[in-house]
Amino acid sequence: MAKWTDWLVQCWCWLASLAVLGVVSGLALFLLRRGVATLGPELLFGDVPAGAAILGQQRVFDGLWPALVGTLLLVFGAALIATPLGVASGIWLAEYGRGRWGRWFSRAASVLAAVPSIIMGLFGFGLILLLRQTLAPQANTCLLLSTICLALLVLPYLIRATEAALTAIPEPVQLLGHALGLSRWQCIWHVHLPAARRGIQSGIVLAVGRIAEDTAVILLTGVVASAGVPQRLTDRYEALPSTIYYLAAEHRNAAELDRAFGAALVLLCLTTLLLCLAYGLTRFAKRTP
Amino acid sequence: MTAPAIELRKLSVRFHGRAALSNIDWTIPPRTITVLVGPSGSGKTTLLRAINRLNECFEGCQTTGAVWLGNAADRRDIYRPDRPLTDLRRQAAMCFQHPNPLPGSIASNFTIPLRCVLGLSAAQIEARMRRALADVDLLTEVGDRLHAGALTLSGGQQQRLCLARALALEPSYLLLDEPTANLDFRSTAKIEELLQRLKTRYTIVAVSHSLSQARRLADQVGILREGTLVQVLDSSQIEDADAFYRLVESYF
Repeated sequence: MAKWTDWLVQCWCWLASLAVLGVVSGLALFLLRRGVATLGPELLFGDVPAGAAILGQQRVFDGLWPALVGTLLLVFGAALIATPLGVASGIWLAEYGRGRWGRWFSRAASVLAAVPSIIMGLFGFGLILLLRQTLAPQANTCLLLSTICLALLVLPYLIRATEAALTAIPEPVQLLGHALGLSRWQCIWHVHLPAARRGIQSGIVLAVGRIAEDTAVILLTGVVASAGVPQRLTDRYEALPSTIYYLAAEHRNAAELDRAFGAALVLLCLTTLLLCLAYGLTRFAKRTP
Repeated sequence: MTAPAIELRKLSVRFHGRAALSNIDWTIPPRTITVLVGPSGSGKTTLLRAINRLNECFEGCQTTGAVWLGNAADRRDIYRPDRPLTDLRRQAAMCFQHPNPLPGSIASNFTIPLRCVLGLSAAQIEARMRRALADVDLLTEVGDRLHAGALTLSGGQQQRLCLARALALEPSYLLLDEPTANLDFRSTAKIEELLQRLKTRYTIVAVSHSLSQARRLADQVGILREGTLVQVLDSSQIEDADAFYRLVESYF
């Protein structure tokens, strides 16, 4: 009986892994089949020369370049705000937040994690309405607002990932720094964080992916169909997920729909590149003594 | 340098109200190896961690009584609030059951504690590192690859590295929690030989589950049972193997 159970469990695990692999490969192949033909400088820059578009000398009206830049700015901006806040909060929860305050903070992080992205978008939109009626009558939805709302959206991922990675450190490693006479912060910096690096890195990667693909928040907080490359944080902007949405929802022929698939491929490549960058940075940090 | 003694006076440790150690009164002589034996859960590791106040890293820990460290001229109760913890833990260095090098290179295992705890310069750190590695017979094996990852070393080498890291802090006491539990017999023999050499300079307290190892190493053996020190055996009682095993086993 035990032998059969072993066999069944093993088969189930294999099948589940193969199914995941199948779904990912199927999705990539489907996107490639529909979108690969559209890939090329024209998809990104339309009829504008690539150099002129990249240097900002000419505006791109018929290409994904502004959306690509918008998404990159969103990812870097939101990650820049959320990572230090999320990691620091996770450290506090794992290392200091034992008691009533810790329990309250933990519940607050859980509530934030359960907030749907459209609510976060509405919060941003509501914030602008409030600002217009009170402190800043000229306030409008913009790149900065989207960045802040997206940072808030991914904050719980980072908090939970950091907390889980730190609390999963084995007891002898938890005690190691203290036994060597290091102070509390030195223990965290030199022993606990390096030991928990992989878990924290997974949280950051997850957060980056979530920022890059979110549509609901940006639709309500500043993304528009043709804003060009934003020059300031208070400008409106374009982004790849919303561009994919517009291209697919408003297509009039198969070629236009294929451009949506092409844009999806660009987004997929961008997130893969960002993930590789995150892994590369961690490997570099690991090698540096 | 005179390695001072350890005096435990009415030492009790409780975790969330449950007694882990009760009323321990014991004097551990200087420059000896004292081995703690007893069944699992008898309080051996808790006793070891009471000597460097490491139990306090756990929630719900309450310690009462006193632990006096130091020689006659400079004896202090480590549980007095004016004693800095970092200083105490440098003075009573600890090695764990599983070899646990710091993440990073062999050299960073010395650089981090020596710079953070003692604020030494690069040259001073280098000198102490080489001396400590030589003390544990590791310098010839790793001297040419100090910037290699510490985790590339074998289990026995990692444990000796951890011992060297503790020695580099120039402690007075060595607290060893089953230091050979996960090592093969060759590495175990090497560590035991090393401890015999080190006891001329340090007061060593070790936990061991191996009675034969306790006999080989110990100048005195403390037997713990359910958080109580039930008997202390001196070298004459350890010498007679049959009587020693019979006596210790009667407490299991």
